[in-house]
Amino acid sequence: MKFIIEHMEKHFEKKEVLRDIDFVFEEGKIYGLLGRNGAGKTTLFNCINRDIKSDGGSFYLEEDGVKKEVKAEDIGYVLSTPTVPEFLTGREFLKFFLDINGDAVGEQKSLDEYFDFMSIAPEDRDKLMKDYSHGMKNKMQMLVNIVAKPKILLLDEPLTSLDVVVAEEMKQLLRTLKDGRITIFSTHIMDLALDLCDVIVLLAHGELEVVEKSNLDNGEFKEKIIAALREEDHV
Amino acid sequence: MYKTLRISFSLKNTYRVNAILFALKQIPLIKKLLPDALYGVRGLKIFANILSVIWEILTFFLGKFLYFITLVCGIGILYKHAPADQVFLHILLLLTAVGAYMNNVMFDQSRDKYYAVILLRMNAREYTLVNFGYAMLKVLIGFLPFTILFGTDRGLPLWFCILLPFAIAGSKLAAAADILRDYEKKGKVYNESRVQKHLWMIAGLVLVLTYLPPALGFVFPAPAYMAVFLLFIPAGILCAWKIKTFRLYREMNQELLSQVTNQMDAVRQAQRKASDKSISTDVTIRSSRRGFEYLNDLFVKRHRKILWKSSLRLSGICLALSCGAVAALLLYPEAQAEINRMVLEWLPYFLFIMYAVNRGTGFTKALFMNCDHSLLTYPFYKQPDCILKLFRIRLREIMKVNAVPAAIIGAGLSAILYVSGGTENPLNYVVLFVSILCMSLFFSIHYLTIYYLLQPYNAGTEIKSGMYQVIMSATYLVCLFLMNLRMPILVFGTACIAFCVLYSIVACILVYRYAPRTFRLRM
Repeated sequence: MKFIIEHMEKHFEKKEVLRDIDFVFEEGKIYGLLGRNGAGKTTLFNCINRDIKSDGGSFYLEEDGVKKEVKAEDIGYVLSTPTVPEFLTGREFLKFFLDINGDAVGEQKSLDEYFDFMSIAPEDRDKLMKDYSHGMKNKMQMLVNIVAKPKILLLDEPLTSLDVVVAEEMKQLLRTLKDGRITIFSTHIMDLALDLCDVIVLLAHGELEVVEKSNLDNGEFKEKIIAALREEDHV
Repeated sequence: MYKTLRISFSLKNTYRVNAILFALKQIPLIKKLLPDALYGVRGLKIFANILSVIWEILTFFLGKFLYFITLVCGIGILYKHAPADQVFLHILLLLTAVGAYMNNVMFDQSRDKYYAVILLRMNAREYTLVNFGYAMLKVLIGFLPFTILFGTDRGLPLWFCILLPFAIAGSKLAAAADILRDYEKKGKVYNESRVQKHLWMIAGLVLVLTYLPPALGFVFPAPAYMAVFLLFIPAGILCAWKIKTFRLYREMNQELLSQVTNQMDAVRQAQRKASDKSISTDVTIRSSRRGFEYLNDLFVKRHRKILWKSSLRLSGICLALSCGAVAALLLYPEAQAEINRMVLEWLPYFLFIMYAVNRGTGFTKALFMNCDHSLLTYPFYKQPDCILKLFRIRLREIMKVNAVPAAIIGAGLSAILYVSGGTENPLNYVVLFVSILCMSLFFSIHYLTIYYLLQPYNAGTEIKSGMYQVIMSATYLVCLFLMNLRMPILVFGTACIAFCVLYSIVACILVYRYAPRTFRLRM
């Protein structure tokens, strides 16, 4: 399976944020999306998730050489600030989600199995989510996004505000989840990107471009990435 | 000193100009014409500057004028038991005393003060003195025309009317000095924007003393009031010395303004808290339904306070009022003819009442704040059939919530009509009842449709749609306008029913066609 974006453009009034996004993402890999502040990472995600309309170009999935439209259920989108419906308990939210998305989920496990998988403590499962901590909300959001096994998982700065333990749990989780799907992970934290991602992609001048690691060690690779990001200043 | 004055003025002006430009950018249609970089456009800036200057001049007089026309003279006119000049002096004196503390200017938490003193680190003493001086100048100039106009009209001597503004300014100076002295002693800053409970109680007591004794005919002789007023002038001059020599302006302002830091966040947090509070924490709430019905069921149960509970309370009040009216009509038959005529003609009035009792806005707000705000970030929730399914469920729910008080009002009106002498055409009862129900139906659909078609909020729960605000205000204005209409039940009622049915159909078509695209978080 491939996820292909062709010539995607997006501008706000006169400001061109995405100029010509043209890229092929491949199954089973975690892509680390790096870019300066305001480079358009969130805009790119929002366009893919169809929260905003792109001004040109297209994107689609390709399975065994057959083009397929990207449907809403193909995408999981985890935002940096987790949002969960405050008036539900974690258990109710998950039940509601499974009610609606039963078909996409396929064979269902019990609710508690899902919570165990996500390391959400039993005493928290029946609390209203308005009383959840940031990390727990994040876990819930992640859980709901991965339960339906989306083909594309977009993660917008998901680990930045988590405590070290939860962040480590999430990292492990993402590694176990990467098979059979395309994970695109935007972050500002270089070490995280290098640690977790298989491919580093830069978003600069409104275009996506892979930074080849070739035979560089981590230190050299980092410098190469920073140099590439810095170049944007001189445009 | 002059530099401080100039900087604080230009700061306040910049703040105001940008606020005007921001407001312009919120107006539909106009916002399309304005560039994104409007804060840098010279012509627009000049325009906003002119508005800002006009506003500044208006603030000199407008507030004072309103103050005199309503609180001092407006209410004063009602008093027949005491001489006009004494009533005037009595009310003005006591309100001045309250205002000296509660509206002193030196101790308010304004944003421009925060920018100047905290962010720009201007000299706190100079800044406070300059601005307080300016505020006193505004008091003198702003009050003078009205003290002369209203004072001489009440038979007070002209020389006294001219001195009155000085006395009012003097009272503020004295109060400021008193508060500063208190700060020196106790180290606790007084914040007039957030007055403590006991001060409110004192203020309430003074207000009672302001308005009650004159109503009972109890006032002091005019010279007594005049003497107190005149005493404020030397008191103010003496206290000005204290204000000038006070040394702790920086400390005091820092303490006073520390709470402003996150004022915007605080507003949002307060909103968040309020919507959090509307969620019931009752752990026994369960639902046996599935899917969207499950979601809706839990939503309605956990928001009982703002939906069913308030609707039922309202119904109870309406029921009591209707019964009271029926009983009154039976007890006082002489009023029947008049009431009968009113009920037959005043149906348009009830459009406004139905507008006022509708829970639609609270419902959509809670829907967004506690539910859609988060769920709209999940792709599955934005699929067209899901949006429409939930729309149907929600519409049914809000119609039910609103229908209960509507049915009681409709039935109550019919009962009043019957008891007050009835009508020769029995169709009137039917139209009366049905049209009231239709109005409630209309508002239910109206708010939900507008919400689904415009979805005015962004992820930060701010309203981002000018159009939404315009439609909300227009709804209010139309209802207000129709309130003054007098029309027979049959005419207005039938028109109303027809309109509501038509509107509902159109609204549903629009939602089905457009909501899958428009029901999104605003970016």
